[in-house]
Amino acid sequence: MENDNLNKLWDIQANDISNFNPKDIITKAKKQRNGQYISISVMSLTVIVLIIYAFYYVFNQWNTFNLGLILMISSLTLRIILEFYSLYRKEKQLISMAQKSYFAYLKKYYKTRQMINFVITPICIAVYIFGFYLLLPYFKDYFSKGFYTYILISGFLSLIFVIAIIIKSTIKEQSFLKQLHK
Amino acid sequence: MITEQEFTNIYNLHASKIHRLCLGYASGNNELAKEWLQETFIKVWKHRNSFKGKSSIDTWIYRIAVNICLGDLRKSRKSITINEDLLSNSSYDDNNDNNEGNIKKMYHCIDQLNEQNKALILLELENIPQTTIADTVGLAHGTLRTRLSRIRKSLLKCITNGK
Repeated sequence: MENDNLNKLWDIQANDISNFNPKDIITKAKKQRNGQYISISVMSLTVIVLIIYAFYYVFNQWNTFNLGLILMISSLTLRIILEFYSLYRKEKQLISMAQKSYFAYLKKYYKTRQMINFVITPICIAVYIFGFYLLLPYFKDYFSKGFYTYILISGFLSLIFVIAIIIKSTIKEQSFLKQLHK
Repeated sequence: MITEQEFTNIYNLHASKIHRLCLGYASGNNELAKEWLQETFIKVWKHRNSFKGKSSIDTWIYRIAVNICLGDLRKSRKSITINEDLLSNSSYDDNNDNNEGNIKKMYHCIDQLNEQNKALILLELENIPQTTIADTVGLAHGTLRTRLSRIRKSLLKCITNGK
């Protein structure tokens, strides 16, 4: 096969991009952007409410219920902020780096992600579970036995579901990191 | 700042090249290639304010496309699933079976290359100027020329011999 034939063979492929048009792409981009703004606003609001609650209420009437609540919300918030920040950084590098530098960055990025997955996330989950555990006596006192059992079961089921998602994405990221090192 | 009209012009000029570049990265998986194409232009629109003109707009767009293809975690699930739709109608003749086989082989051989070489040959096959390719991947022009000639040879050998 001649060198030129490589290009000829490549050119035989058709371009099936008929179902896209630039206007739809702009609409999708705007939707994505608005979604990001909403998520950031909700997160910021949660953090602000948490801080106000901590300073003006919790320190005046300190009990294990407040502590449990603070632990649950803050561990969740920290993990979500970390996720948003790492995605934001990655996108910033994606649009500004040449492929060689981006390739090196991705290796570093997924190594850091491993640290997050194996150290920070388990700590956040442990703190969350401990917070939930502190709330249980209050739930037992205030709610009926049936509802308390429901809270207990649904709490653990949703936790197992979240952990399963985290494990799945960790495995995916690990195999991708291996692929990058090939 | 890129206006909607300018964006439309940019899209019409580059979309087909970027689609085929992504097709090469996705080993012929058209659905994945179309997703990457769409994602590329979504990012171009979203980040149009951050384009400062340090490189040409072509280089900037190719960088985004190549980086998207490189960084997608689903790449490990890709498969060589070429079908007749991927062959251009103008060339659709008795040689179709042969072409399909050769393109399959080509995807397979491109897939054997490392990430950087993959990007180099895919951009080269789209007849993108070598200076743009060098800027896109971050290589010196001289190095790029030598590398491209080596990749072409190994690709030809792989398609002909099947390894």
